[in-house]
Amino acid sequence: MDALSSHRSSPSLPTLKEILNRPLLFVEGKGGVGKTVLAQSIAHALAAKNRSTLLVSIENPLLPAGELKKIASNLWHLNCDPTTAFEEYASLKIGVAALTRIFLQNKLMRYLGKAAPGVHEVVILGKIWHDRKDYDHVVVDMPSMGYGITMFQSTANFAKLFRGGPIHRDSEAMLKTFADPAQTGQLIVSLAEEMPLTESLELRDYLNGFFPDNAPGFLVNRRFPKPEILEDSDVGSNESSRDYEKGHTPLATSALDYLTQRFLLEDHNMRLWRNQKIPYGEIGYIPPAARSSGDVKSEPAIQKTISRVSALLAEKGYV
Amino acid sequence: MSPQKSHHSLDEVIQKRRILVTCGTGGVGKTTLSAAIAMRAAVLGKKAVVITVDPAKRLATSLGLKDLGDTPMDLTPLLKRAFADHPPEAFKKCVGTLAAIVPDSRTTFETFMKGLAPTTQIMERVLKNPIVDVFAREFSGANEYLALERLYHLDLLKEYDFIVLDTPPSRNTLAFLEAPQLLARLFEEKLVRWFVLPANKIAAAGMRKAMGILEKITGEGFMTHLFDFGGALFEIQENFLKNLKAINALLQSQDVGFLLVTVPTPETVPELNHFVDSVKEHGFHFDGIALNRTLSYLDTESATAADRGKASQGFEVLDALKAREQSAISELKNFSKKSAIGSQIFYTQLPELARDVHSVEDLFHVAMAFDHSLS
Repeated sequence: MDALSSHRSSPSLPTLKEILNRPLLFVEGKGGVGKTVLAQSIAHALAAKNRSTLLVSIENPLLPAGELKKIASNLWHLNCDPTTAFEEYASLKIGVAALTRIFLQNKLMRYLGKAAPGVHEVVILGKIWHDRKDYDHVVVDMPSMGYGITMFQSTANFAKLFRGGPIHRDSEAMLKTFADPAQTGQLIVSLAEEMPLTESLELRDYLNGFFPDNAPGFLVNRRFPKPEILEDSDVGSNESSRDYEKGHTPLATSALDYLTQRFLLEDHNMRLWRNQKIPYGEIGYIPPAARSSGDVKSEPAIQKTISRVSALLAEKGYV
Repeated sequence: MSPQKSHHSLDEVIQKRRILVTCGTGGVGKTTLSAAIAMRAAVLGKKAVVITVDPAKRLATSLGLKDLGDTPMDLTPLLKRAFADHPPEAFKKCVGTLAAIVPDSRTTFETFMKGLAPTTQIMERVLKNPIVDVFAREFSGANEYLALERLYHLDLLKEYDFIVLDTPPSRNTLAFLEAPQLLARLFEEKLVRWFVLPANKIAAAGMRKAMGILEKITGEGFMTHLFDFGGALFEIQENFLKNLKAINALLQSQDVGFLLVTVPTPETVPELNHFVDSVKEHGFHFDGIALNRTLSYLDTESATAADRGKASQGFEVLDALKAREQSAISELKNFSKKSAIGSQIFYTQLPELARDVHSVEDLFHVAMAFDHSLS
């Protein structure tokens, strides 16, 4: 407990607003916490402030690989793809078109580009790093946690594995940018559930190991609203354990029971962050919009959610 | 609660298969659900074990146990106690056994290498290579493959007659299925040959040029490691491919079924379609879909205005989530009627819990809550 709280209670933790407004923002967290919608909403909110913004998805299989598309005023979307990025990187480094072709068409090189460990991750980060200069903001929707941190690990590995040479220099330069609070922010997104909250702390420690001087921001997503029947005094307790009725099933007994238990549980879970004095933002659960009848694509429903979250981010002063 | 006879139930699958592989993306509650299936199998009389490949140690937290590890931990006494405390209607007694394993990836990797390398010297050379080191930890297919290794060797021991393999969390559901092939490609003979040929013997000018460029980009030292790595792969290639073939044969056999774990959203059925195709493509057997975290058991329809007033925004969220779930379930029903495989698989759903699972007893309540009615 002592070791943990001394770990990160430096006096000048950045506000969420500072982090979300940095030129390069990585949105991280475990799978299913709503990173994608949040990253989209942040990008929309930034673009709405007249800043040119690039939203990056990583290998979205539903979109064309490597596609760059304008999706709103001041807002572009890139579906970053490792194969395309690898080719771009090779041609950038080799320079001569003919040589690049020989290199890229070589079977072994094609194979290495596809399957060699870490290449994927490094070229994706390299592409983002390179393109960031063309925009005021770049918001990256990172893959879910395990894979997300691999990306930074791979870059560090590359810097170590390759001594001298351009890959080494580029990896080092990338890490330097990511470590600099003036240039890069990390946003850790979680749900108010025990596992994601705990894993967020692990993610923080992990990122801290890489970028010790660049503290991440925290946001808890999809909080269930507080039921009217609860008093303010029911909320915000930091006790280390909550007594469950021994032998009682974890299933809810009624809808109201679920909503009450759910809120109290989430509030109780938040002690994991509160105890460590982590400043965090909160976004309430936006009820998923119903799909308009006969509509095959769920696109408009998601768009509605994004607009609401984006407005909420501005309203709360996070962006 | 009575299971519809039009399709199979999870319990039938437990009787039919010896191994069940659960696949799904992160955040759907796959680990808890997998453990609950193994527990249900134990209640049905199986000698059941769940292997969960998860660096985050989620299973240990869910079971309230500190030291789950590479050695199987026997959970039977705890299960028997939970059964005695909460005797379920559907089952008279609990005669099977239950164990859990959380493999240590480094141990699995070393055992794996020991089995493959023809001599100790070769093994040491392989383990010392920096590329191998990075590879074993981070290659996107390595964890998945090591999980299969663990499964294969555990199955050979024949100590259990029902194994649930909870696959590692991944970006997409299919990653697990692709992993063995990705690795096999690494061992494709021609490519490995290129590595072991001394540099001066590489005749093709194109290759020489490509290598030269690679060396320039990667800097000093890397090429030596790369050739060394290639050489090492060459040494273990034969044994590895034999191993892979045996694993693949096991996965394709009637003993093994695949299960998709997901949550009810508009993406449920597209994901299922995709998964079914991919499982078939690999020659595996698709058994069913488990819909986790469902809310339909919470009755909002008969809630009075007074009830709603006690949590008005909460009910609003719940109504919307239930509506989304209902449309996912009706899409699933459609799938079950219209798709070729639809009537042959099982559908099961597990309710969203009001709190986290913290003990074997909690898990027991979950294991008894599988509902096959697709309601």
